[in-house]
Amino acid sequence: MPNAPLEGIRVLSFGTGAVIPDFGKILGELGAEVIKIESKDNMDFMRTIGADPNNIGGFNESNRSKRSFGVNLKTDKGKDIVRKLIKVTDIIGENFRGDVMRSLDLDYARVRRIKSNIIYVSSQGFGQGGPYSDYQAYGPMLAAASGLLSLWKHPTDPYPVGANVPLPDHMASKMAVVLALAALDYRRRTGKGQYIDMSQVEVAATLIGEACLDYTVNQRVPKPVGNRSPYAAPHGCYRCKGDDQWCAISVFSPDEWERFVKAIGDPDWARGPKFADLVNRLRNVEELDTHVEQWTLQHEPREVMNILQAAGVAAGEAQRSAETIDDPQLKWLNALIEVDHPVSGRRLYPNLPFRISGMKLPPSRPAPLLGQHTEEVCRETLKMSDDAIRTLKEEGVLFCNT
Amino acid sequence: MPRKKEGALSVYRVLDLADEKGSYCTRMLADLGADVLKVEKPSGDSTRNTPPFAGDTPHQEKSLHFLYRQANKRGITLNLEVPDGRRIFKELIKKCDVLVETYPPGYMSGLGLDYENLKQVNPGLIMASVTEFGQTGPYKDWKGSEIVQYALSTTLVTSGFQDGAPINLPGTPAYDSASLIAAISILVSLYVRGSTGEGQYIDVSAHECSRLGLYPWMVTMYSYNLNPNMPPPPPEGRLGAAIYPVYPCKDGMIRVVALTPRQWDALVKVLGEPEVLKMPEWREFFYRIANAADLYALMLDFTTKYTMVELFERGRQEGVPIVPIYDVAGFYNSPHTKARKFFVNQKHPVVGKFDAPGPPYKWSSLSCDMRSTAPCLGQHNEDIYCKELGFSREDLAAMRRAGVI
Repeated sequence: MPNAPLEGIRVLSFGTGAVIPDFGKILGELGAEVIKIESKDNMDFMRTIGADPNNIGGFNESNRSKRSFGVNLKTDKGKDIVRKLIKVTDIIGENFRGDVMRSLDLDYARVRRIKSNIIYVSSQGFGQGGPYSDYQAYGPMLAAASGLLSLWKHPTDPYPVGANVPLPDHMASKMAVVLALAALDYRRRTGKGQYIDMSQVEVAATLIGEACLDYTVNQRVPKPVGNRSPYAAPHGCYRCKGDDQWCAISVFSPDEWERFVKAIGDPDWARGPKFADLVNRLRNVEELDTHVEQWTLQHEPREVMNILQAAGVAAGEAQRSAETIDDPQLKWLNALIEVDHPVSGRRLYPNLPFRISGMKLPPSRPAPLLGQHTEEVCRETLKMSDDAIRTLKEEGVLFCNT
Repeated sequence: MPRKKEGALSVYRVLDLADEKGSYCTRMLADLGADVLKVEKPSGDSTRNTPPFAGDTPHQEKSLHFLYRQANKRGITLNLEVPDGRRIFKELIKKCDVLVETYPPGYMSGLGLDYENLKQVNPGLIMASVTEFGQTGPYKDWKGSEIVQYALSTTLVTSGFQDGAPINLPGTPAYDSASLIAAISILVSLYVRGSTGEGQYIDVSAHECSRLGLYPWMVTMYSYNLNPNMPPPPPEGRLGAAIYPVYPCKDGMIRVVALTPRQWDALVKVLGEPEVLKMPEWREFFYRIANAADLYALMLDFTTKYTMVELFERGRQEGVPIVPIYDVAGFYNSPHTKARKFFVNQKHPVVGKFDAPGPPYKWSSLSCDMRSTAPCLGQHNEDIYCKELGFSREDLAAMRRAGVI
């Protein structure tokens, strides 16, 4: 057993925003050596959304366990150095706007001539090979363009607004990891590399495949159902005691309904024929939800969750960060870990969320400062002399964290 | 089953005992070429009853949920609750690489089919358990659902309008994030097995994965604002409408993601440089968030002059990301979706011909085709039980009668 599952694998990450940065982070946490290629003039935009490019929470989460290599790719010497790195690289990930890698002479056709068995993952918003290939795209736009956003609303809302979340970015990043690992295993068996063209908007569509089929099979444009379910009632997000406090509840089977009714104190309204079975509960769902909310409003969300779970009914509070940090199950799983970053200090980050019986993972390392590992990579990986490194720095080809 | 072309995972066989918590995982492995055998109880998987149905007729072969999530897999029936069924299951385990199951903790060991036992039969077996809350810990026996996991993920409370109830995501993205993490764990284990020969047991929960799949930044950003001797940051609210505004236009809605001043300037240009939008304060992202309602009222005069596609294309020219809010029909009919051939025509013995979503990627030299529609109940029983395990067709009839398959 190697020390870490991906020990000995080198990844070059040409990433910005969420998808390829998060992809590289996961490979790094699995033990690959991940080098983030960074530019000073055209930084990963996540470094630019605050005052200090080295002190941004989102960036520092998505770029843990990597090294930062500062290079000016607009110079011939810079391109040359990156080509030397590619020679000793196993996986490339990039999510620049379509055509940017080609303009840098780093598209698959050219990279393959340098390293024939390279695994090259491109992840554009809309994917290659169509009229929108070079359109800029952020996560919230992909939810919009895929049809997902159109279904993400209460039936009474005037229009959908989604969330504070760049969904489906962090699903697309995991899909990209799945693809890179499948390609790596294939290469282990056959020696062959691969180019993979993943479309983030299509990843969003795979999350609503049933709705796509409703259109193609039933010729019907699916409508949003809000928090309700066609096969469970009560089913929804109910207001609880406190300011903007909520708890989700799902009652599927007759047995769960019995348990639910007992848990909330066996009220008279619940015993009538209107709510006797699922069909009737769905038929009278507005009235049902009003009754349920009258009960939830008397309790804090964690209380609602604990009472119902103790009775064997699915319930979960709408957690914010503070509750998440305090979540007993997440604590038990060590789901949040503290990592010390040279600028940001000790902060919380999500741990890799799985346990593999016989596998040891290396400890998570903080996100790199901009250009932090330029010299190290030149010396250790490219075997360059200190003089050569100094000259390239003076010429503006390489830069370091200073 | 004849394979026309090789996929990355064609050499592997996966036994699939997964419900909606894990079916996206096994569909992914199937899309990449693995031979995924969906093992159903003799009466059929419960998701065969999940609406909507083709033609709105409840029917075990017509659930669109089942048709979507089981495509590219083969299907057999087997009753794990009888000794003969478990004996056959162990024969199947001998010939497989991966097992994915989603039963509550303790169920598989109650049947004597836990990893320790199955490892005796196949030491290279990689077994992944995908559960609501994990195999251990204070919540391990808690009940879950998609909306419950979404609520616990921190994301629900940020979804929807600030003054309304938080809104659930369509589909099963919390479960699907557990599926993605399970697939990553499985592939890492297969990769390592290539050099060690060793199997692994993988424990994944929707509770832990959903946060990471949906919005891993939230707790981290909160912790960046938690400082000694400072008041804690205010509780998170629902800011989607302010951060990523949605505006009506001539024929629908668009969403704008203008984060930098340069992108805002480009947006003003797209809209014909109206004077009211040139006030310098509007260039500031946080000013726009704080005054989102006023901005919305101003924007209506301008966005409604254009169509969705006009704004989409002009945004690209000027350098501001704008996108149409498509419904499913709009996505299906988009020239880009068509050009990439994301939808693939399939023919199902009961439902007939229809276009189905394919995998969201293309590989340069390996196949990721749609090979088959979701299996009908017990469709591949003969292929597996007769051709591989040596049972006769008479044996199959007897096994069916005895409730084993």
